[in-house]
Amino acid sequence: MTEVLLLGRRAVREVIRLPEATIPTLFIPLFFLAVNIGQVSKTFPSTTPFLHGQGYVGFQLPVSLMFAVCTATSGLALVTEIDLGYFDKLLVAPIRRSSIIFGRLAADLVRGIGVSTLVLLVALAFGATMRSGVTPNFVPFDRLSPVMEALARANPVSYVIEGLRSLVLQGWVPGKLAICVAVIVATGLGLTWLSVRAIERYDR
Amino acid sequence: MSIATADDPAVEARGLRRTFKGGVEAVRDIDLRVERGEIFGFLGPNGAGKSTTVRMLCTLLPPTAGSAKVAGVDVVADPAEARRRIGVALQEIGLDPVQTGRELLELQCGLYGIQGSAARARAQELLELVGLTEAADRRTKTYSGGMKRRLDLASALVHSPEVLFLDEPTTGLDPASRLTIWDEVRRINAGGTSVMLTTQYLEEADQLCDRLAIIDAGRIVVEGTPGRLKAQMGHDVVSVALNGADVESTKAAIGELPGLERVVVESEALALYVEDGPASIAEIVRRLDRQRIRVGGIAVARPSLDDVFLRSTGRRLEGDEEVAA
Ligand SMILES: Nc1ncnc2c1ncn2[C@@H]1O[C@H](COP(=O)(O)OP(=O)(O)OP(=O)(O)O)[C@@H](O)[C@H]1O
Ligand SMILES: [Mg+2]
Repeated sequence: MTEVLLLGRRAVREVIRLPEATIPTLFIPLFFLAVNIGQVSKTFPSTTPFLHGQGYVGFQLPVSLMFAVCTATSGLALVTEIDLGYFDKLLVAPIRRSSIIFGRLAADLVRGIGVSTLVLLVALAFGATMRSGVTPNFVPFDRLSPVMEALARANPVSYVIEGLRSLVLQGWVPGKLAICVAVIVATGLGLTWLSVRAIERYDR
Repeated sequence: MSIATADDPAVEARGLRRTFKGGVEAVRDIDLRVERGEIFGFLGPNGAGKSTTVRMLCTLLPPTAGSAKVAGVDVVADPAEARRRIGVALQEIGLDPVQTGRELLELQCGLYGIQGSAARARAQELLELVGLTEAADRRTKTYSGGMKRRLDLASALVHSPEVLFLDEPTTGLDPASRLTIWDEVRRINAGGTSVMLTTQYLEEADQLCDRLAIIDAGRIVVEGTPGRLKAQMGHDVVSVALNGADVESTKAAIGELPGLERVVVESEALALYVEDGPASIAEIVRRLDRQRIRVGGIAVARPSLDDVFLRSTGRRLEGDEEVAA
């Protein structure tokens, strides 16, 4: 556990010292927010039913948040580390190999919270209001063509967005939130398990 | 499993082998034994299999066949315990560029279970040992090659390992930095740490190592102390330039030297084949002086490790001249 904290602290330090790695991950969500506020909100005025009386900014905000969080840089940082040889130094230390992964994830968590907070603040400044205190990605499922709808329903990310969106637009909707959390936890666990397995079998 | 004790050799490998995907036989059935307290050199040209051997001994690479123990611990059966007992500085310096030297050492301490004020004290102590106190709070990416090597060396020492592995610790360093590293290695060794280092430099193996093995194309071709290996090559040659002095009277003046094998008369010089050239010179000078014979000069040629390498592999290690068989 201490190992994870130590490695996490170091990774957070790296995030802070290399802002050039984080700034691009802010650019895309903010860009989408800006575009949507400018143009798309004209197409969907706040009287549009699925917006629950809010501007399109509120509808789109969760997408921006997803972008902000999903462009996590840990994987890339780990690849760089392998290249630089520092990874070998960690492998030869008497620590659990999984703690290398968890240390990185801890840093991503910190970074994700930071970036999301920023995106939220910007969205609020542009007039999104929060029903909860926080969806198909750009329009609701039933507004999509049948093929697109099928794809969107199969994509787990849709449910995350739906859940987040319900928080912004409708307040607490336990059903949507539960699916959202379930998807996040399941994919999170699945991917983490794969990473841990990969690092435990790693040798070159 | 037997319990590892301080009597176990520092390194013990039997039939160690590594074949890479694609069929490259990097290491072929190596037997190796490094005693406690030794500085052991692993000398070989590029691609000989030095790094592959070190990586296997450090638990970074599973052997294809054979077994190895470090400090009495089997590296395959109990890698976690082996890792606690060894320190490693690999050929590619592994430093985190965005951390400072001090942060890197303190983190390294933490990974070995040394924390808080103990970690800070140990980091400071090591920074002093390798002479990096002034650069300690700069990010490592601003360090010179020699500074990086020294920090890497320090980071291998946080937990005072029983056995230290150094893969080409001085490659790419200028002569002064090389000497600094040698001094540090000697100091670490004097503190009781057994050292196994790889090198491509004959001089390094000669000056620094108590014992060495020459590896070529994945096999150990010869092993022993530098002195013994060179002695096996034959004797030192002391050549006395006559500069007009009489051959017979010079020969008579020198007479029977201890360890003298034979005397060969060359044009304008005497070649004396002796066991210990430098020791013989003083005696030769004294005897010539007593007979008031003035000679042009006296020089000793000793067999070098390069001669050993040449005889063992048919090639020279240093310099790229082709050697006729
Ligand atoms: N991961 C790998 N996959 C395939 N072949 C490899 C791998 N690592 C090393 N080799 C090969 O194994 C042989 C021995 O390599 P090794 O790195 O052990 O040599 P070395 O003695 O350390 O050389 P150098 O002095 O250049 O560092 C070389 O032929 C090399 O190409
Ligand atoms: Mg090598």
